[in-house]
Amino acid sequence: MAPHHAHNPSKRRGADLSAYATLSVISIFCAIPFFWVLLASIDGNASLFLQWPRELTIDNYVRIFMQEDGTRWVLNSLFVVGTATLIVMVLAGLGGYALSRTRAWWKRPFLYTILLIRVLPTTALIVPLYKVLLTANNWLGGVLRAIFGNGPAREILKYVGFIDGYLGLILVLATMQLPLALWIMKTFFDTVPRDYEEAALMDGATMLQRIRRVLIPLALPGLGAAGLFAFISAWGDFLLPLILLSSPDLQTLPLGLFRAFLRVNTIDYGFLAALAFVYLLPAVIAFGFARRFLVQTFSGGVKG
Amino acid sequence: MPWIQLSYERRVAWQLRLILLPSVLLLLAFVIYPAVYSIYLSLTNEALTGAAALKPRFVGTRNYARLFSDAKFWNSLLVTLIFVIGSAVIGQFVLGLVSAVLLRRPLRWKPIFNSIILLPNAVPEVVAGFMWISMLAGGERATLSRIVAFFGIPAADWLQTFPLTMIIIVNTWRGIATAMILLTAGLSAISEEIYEAARMDGATPRQMFTRITLPLIAPTIFLYMLVSTVSTIAIFGFVYALTRGGPGGATELISIYIYNQSFTAFQLGYGSAVAVVALAFSLLIGVVYVRALKVEV
Amino acid sequence: MAVIELKNVRKYYGALEVIKGVDIRVEDGEFAVFVGPSGCGKSTLLRMIAGLEGIDGGDFLLDGRRMNDIAPDKRGIAMVFQSYALYPHMSVAENIGFSLDLKKVPKATIRKEVEAIAEILQLTDYLDRRPAALSGGQRQRVAIGRAIIKKPAVILFDEPLSNLDASLRVQMRAELQRLHRDLKATVVYVTHDQVEAMTMADRIVVLKGGEVAQADAPIALYHRPDNAFVATFIGSPRMNLVPVTIARAADGKAEVTAARLGAIHIDDSAMPLPTGPAQLGVRPEHLRLAADADGDFDSEILVVERLGVETYLTIGSLDQPIMVRVEGDIAMRPGDRARFSIDRQSCHFFDMAGRALPRA
Repeated sequence: MAPHHAHNPSKRRGADLSAYATLSVISIFCAIPFFWVLLASIDGNASLFLQWPRELTIDNYVRIFMQEDGTRWVLNSLFVVGTATLIVMVLAGLGGYALSRTRAWWKRPFLYTILLIRVLPTTALIVPLYKVLLTANNWLGGVLRAIFGNGPAREILKYVGFIDGYLGLILVLATMQLPLALWIMKTFFDTVPRDYEEAALMDGATMLQRIRRVLIPLALPGLGAAGLFAFISAWGDFLLPLILLSSPDLQTLPLGLFRAFLRVNTIDYGFLAALAFVYLLPAVIAFGFARRFLVQTFSGGVKG
Repeated sequence: MPWIQLSYERRVAWQLRLILLPSVLLLLAFVIYPAVYSIYLSLTNEALTGAAALKPRFVGTRNYARLFSDAKFWNSLLVTLIFVIGSAVIGQFVLGLVSAVLLRRPLRWKPIFNSIILLPNAVPEVVAGFMWISMLAGGERATLSRIVAFFGIPAADWLQTFPLTMIIIVNTWRGIATAMILLTAGLSAISEEIYEAARMDGATPRQMFTRITLPLIAPTIFLYMLVSTVSTIAIFGFVYALTRGGPGGATELISIYIYNQSFTAFQLGYGSAVAVVALAFSLLIGVVYVRALKVEV
Repeated sequence: MAVIELKNVRKYYGALEVIKGVDIRVEDGEFAVFVGPSGCGKSTLLRMIAGLEGIDGGDFLLDGRRMNDIAPDKRGIAMVFQSYALYPHMSVAENIGFSLDLKKVPKATIRKEVEAIAEILQLTDYLDRRPAALSGGQRQRVAIGRAIIKKPAVILFDEPLSNLDASLRVQMRAELQRLHRDLKATVVYVTHDQVEAMTMADRIVVLKGGEVAQADAPIALYHRPDNAFVATFIGSPRMNLVPVTIARAADGKAEVTAARLGAIHIDDSAMPLPTGPAQLGVRPEHLRLAADADGDFDSEILVVERLGVETYLTIGSLDQPIMVRVEGDIAMRPGDRARFSIDRQSCHFFDMAGRALPRA
């Protein structure tokens, strides 16, 4: 069936009706799980089953932030994913620019490599990655202990450690988003004429001035797209925090939700649903902004 | 300043290399090196605990020999294959194509349908798992049970009875959007005039679909199949949250098998051997993909 | 002072030599136009002068100083880009003042200078607009303003009028010439349009395949082209080239014979033409309709283009058409026959390699 203005109006209305019906079924399939999370999160007697709440309450949300560690999980997630996204935007902005402008022999091999890296499953990389990080962490721990002593070293490692520390998770999360972001920025800068930089160059701008005064303002849409996709992907990632974090202090939202769910005997579905909703919301909002970039990204990059 | 002697062009070339360097370093440290290192690991008896953790030994191809006779490994390959075919090749593709084709019509609710179908794509893996635990719960009050009851099908403990089918359904749910977006892009590249010409030639809507639309979006479909296959192989989070690979290995995808071997059984060497197989396979598809993409550099 | 000298300048893209040893001298205050078909290297040459492309061989001297390795912004050269390259996120005033802002010139001073420039370019009312809200001609002026605020000794123009429509182009041509008179800067202007070159230049450099085909004053190129390429490139409609045989006639004159034109006799006693095969070059305006009695040859008329003020007749054969330009409106029809004469003073001769044969 193609888009067409069928000759016969009644035939067309019939086709439209069946289109509505089919799309409605698909949409219900897509939407139902969201109803449950939303309804259960404001239901005083939430259960595992989809039901209309008998008493509406915001208790579940209040509890996330007042009684449980919700605030810490949210802040940890925002900090880790936010920093990773920032790193990705800066590095991909610079690197994508270089990839777009260079005429060197390594340009094509490099771009092919980036595409190939995109297809490597993180799950398959996680074992050696863990070993690499563990080695780096032990070495770093040794150095820190030698300088600061045992106690302070442990505190510092919480931030700059590669295992069970912010830094390791941030860097790995950023690296995993980097290929797609580099690709987005490269194709974006391909559409920005060199004339702008050359005009700025003739005007006497240094490379940093060219980047800050001319390129960044021009590249904002591209950076926005790269940042949004990096954020959504890093925000939704579960495997990396699962393997790289263990201290309760450092838990992020996916771990918080997962572990809260594992407390089998005391499952509180209202609380979990509210937590899931809190975790879901930033991703959905970011996705809303990212929508208009989706097509160009999927045609270049891999992944769903 | 020593570099003042460099010509402007040479200086720019070096500046470009310099600003690409941080990205290269990160990718080398956290992707390329681990990927190569995994080959080495797979040739050792590296472990997280026990004697091997202190003094790992080189064991040659023993891990690979073990793989071949490991029924659970073959099971995980089979499960992954069915999962990829069921969700990416069939589920997401069919529903995505139907949505893309129907949404080409000038329907009034088009933006709403569009948004709803895209929505699952944004859901974090753990949330997806959590949502579907509710949908697929056992008993008559569970959502799926209530829906199938309309058609006279008895309730069941869905995740226990049909585990693989259920995670295929969940992954289909997550991925309709990807297929729809790619196929919509492919469809919109077909000019309206071709359909008008076909109508002048007397083609029926059905003929227009099979004789014009399908052949013209075949390259897009091929690309989508490659993209969705590699991304489906990589799936871990929501399945792990839903089933942890169970019951009895029925949903033990290769990614979950790697995780279980490495971090539950602590056999890093053996887990790496499995990972190398997954890496090699993904890379193979990746090469086909890169060639099919005809990247313009 | 700004005298531009290019000495044996070369440029390679990989193994491909795109500029093949070019020598050009542009005097101070001169309006020089580089003209040639696309791919002739004219823009590359301009960008090498700007410093946007490196110079792989030879030297670029500005007032005798070697500039090869000087950074683009240190050369005292401004450039107007073909796309104008106006920064879309800045207002007109910010665009024009950007180079001063980069030098940390005080805002008030910048404002004053920008306003002075805007006055010259009639942009005063548009200073707060974004480039997207301007017409093509206004954008062009902003691009020029951005160049001249730097008070450059040399201004480079890269096909600046190619994005404008025909009437605006004529208007901008006049404006650019006025501006050049006022600024007294040396100008290098790149175009593929020979009319633009002829109307604006003090000196035209015709480029072909990375080499200088000829450099001279515009009217000199018209009257005394060095080769068949320049002869056909300059002038519109283009010069007719006809293969001929030159022989020595009994009266001592050169007898020039062409397949369809018959034979004409040309007095070349001052500088005798070599005999043998050659090419005759004659411009459409140097062929005339003749009364039956005199004239040099008959031809069938193949195409008639009546423009009112003039009429173009295509004669000869379709595989080797000859264009004739006739003043005024001539009511002729394809298939008619007519008699034509050739203005002997304006005949050009080229050898088979296209080099002009010297004439007195």
